[in-house]
Parts: sequence; structure tokens; C-alpha cells
Amino acid sequence: MVRFKNRYFLCEIISEDLHFQQSIDEWAVHNTVKNVVARMHGDFGLACCSIAFSVKYLNAYTGIVLLRCRKDFHRLLWSSLPFITHLESRNERYRCSFNTLHVGATMRTCQKFLIHHNRNQLLVLLRNCTSEADRQAIQKSVQSCKFVGEEQYNSEDEESKDEESDDSMK
Amino acid sequence: MIESGDGKGSKPSSYERIVLKNASEYYYLKIHLEFEEVGISLNAFEFKQLIISALKQLHGEVGAALPVDVLSYEEKNLFAILRVPITGLVKLWSALTLLDTYQNRKCAFRVIQTSPFLLALAGNSRELVLD
Repeated sequence: MVRFKNRYFLCEIISEDLHFQQSIDEWAVHNTVKNVVARMHGDFGLACCSIAFSVKYLNAYTGIVLLRCRKDFHRLLWSSLPFITHLESRNERYRCSFNTLHVGATMRTCQKFLIHHNRNQLLVLLRNCTSEADRQAIQKSVQSCKFVGEEQYNSEDEESKDEESDDSMK
Repeated sequence: MIESGDGKGSKPSSYERIVLKNASEYYYLKIHLEFEEVGISLNAFEFKQLIISALKQLHGEVGAALPVDVLSYEEKNLFAILRVPITGLVKLWSALTLLDTYQNRKCAFRVIQTSPFLLALAGNSRELVLD
């Protein structure tokens, strides 16, 4: 069986701008990434990365974004991501940077990694927190996240399986 | 890297055999810039600038950062010899091929010879006249 192989980039957008969360959308991220690829790798790189490039998932609150591109050219996209300095949306510029957390072959592995990563982040928070109220709140969310996470994970797992089979059909 | 001579005896042999086992580091290209109109001249700086802008157009800043050297340039007839690392040969060649204008005037790069050895560009077997 033959299928198109993709690479999924799980990135977090780091920004100190306060209005950043309300104003980003998938289209802004899409344009920004394409512009930076065009700047770094020229017409050739842009054409290569444009094949099957899409923003699969964007969470404005946590700043998590999932990008897809073909496996053959993923290194072009990968090497361009650190050069993003600002996001442009609705004629306004927001200073930000992209931090690549994970590069996976399927959305499922990216999701697995993200859950694992977020759980670890909670533990880091727990270690660094100062007041007792904070500590209890975080402990609570750590415990609940395990339970809810597992459940959520199973249900979303099936979804991503469906999506994968959709992808392979194409 | 280089295996030289057949080391029999201590006396120097009359000929030496050199075998290069790895690919060489640089590639050399002999190129010619052609214009549709006649009487356009550009100096060495403009020539290098043209090559870099072609690289930047097709391969972006990564392409423009390629260490391309203009070893010799003849202003009269627009011939030049370029040196490029072997990893950047395809990028340079494709950028030269796709360049089409210089200051809104149509032009084209002809790659006449390429070789991993500079000495090979000294003669061109295609220009030999056979009796």
C-alpha cells in the first residue's frame, strides 16, 4: 500500500503581548509560516512546503499549534520556524516566537506527546509554586488531569484514527 | 584520501598515480551571460550581485548565503568562472538557469563547462577543430 507521508509539527507560540490571544487565527499562522519559508528558502522552498501544508489545530489560549507538511520537505519548514519574529493579524503585528515541541508522523503521536508534555508542565508548576493555595489547586488539577485525560484521550484517540484513515484515503 | 605512487623501492618513480576516492570539495563552473540586446556591460560587483539576487529569488536567504566565488570575470565578453561547494552546486545551477532579467532587460546564463577540477576548464573539447 502506498500513501503520502506527512510530518506534523507541534509548536507553542510564545508571546508577551496581551492582546495576542484574542487576535490570532489559523489564517494568520498560515500566512506567517508561509512568509517565513518564502523568506528563508525562496520560491523553491515555498513551493515545496505548500504541498499539503495546513494548520491542523490552533489553541489560542495555550498557544499550541499543529502544522502539517509533506515528509520530503519537512526540513525546509523546520529550519524556517525559528526565524518567525512576529505574527500579523488584522493589520496588526504581534511579537512572538515559535518553539517546536515535537515533530511526529501522525497527529496521534503529537497528541500523545502534548498530553505527556502538559502533565509534566503541571509537575514543574507544582515544584515551583510558593503559596499553599496554589499548591493545592495544582495538586487537584494534576489528579484530575490523569483521570479526565485518560478518558478524553481514549475518545479522541478514535477520532484521530478516523482522521488518519481519511488522510490515507486521499 | 590520496594514494600516490606504487611504493616499490626508494628511487623516485617517473610517473605518479593519484587516485581520489572522495568527491572533491568544490565544483567549478564556466558561465556566460547573454543579453538579448547588445552593448550592455556590467562590472564584477554587479555580476556577483546578479548571481546572489538570482540565488535569493529561488532559494531565499539560505541560498544567498552560499559561498559562491567569482574566480575570474571578463567584462568584455561576460565570461566568468565560479567556484561553489559541491553541496550548493544544484542550487547555484538552478538559480542561474531560472534567472531571466537584469534591470528589466532579458538575459540568460549559459553554463558552458562544469568540473570538479579547475584545470579542466582550461580547454574545451567541444571547441576543438578536427581535420
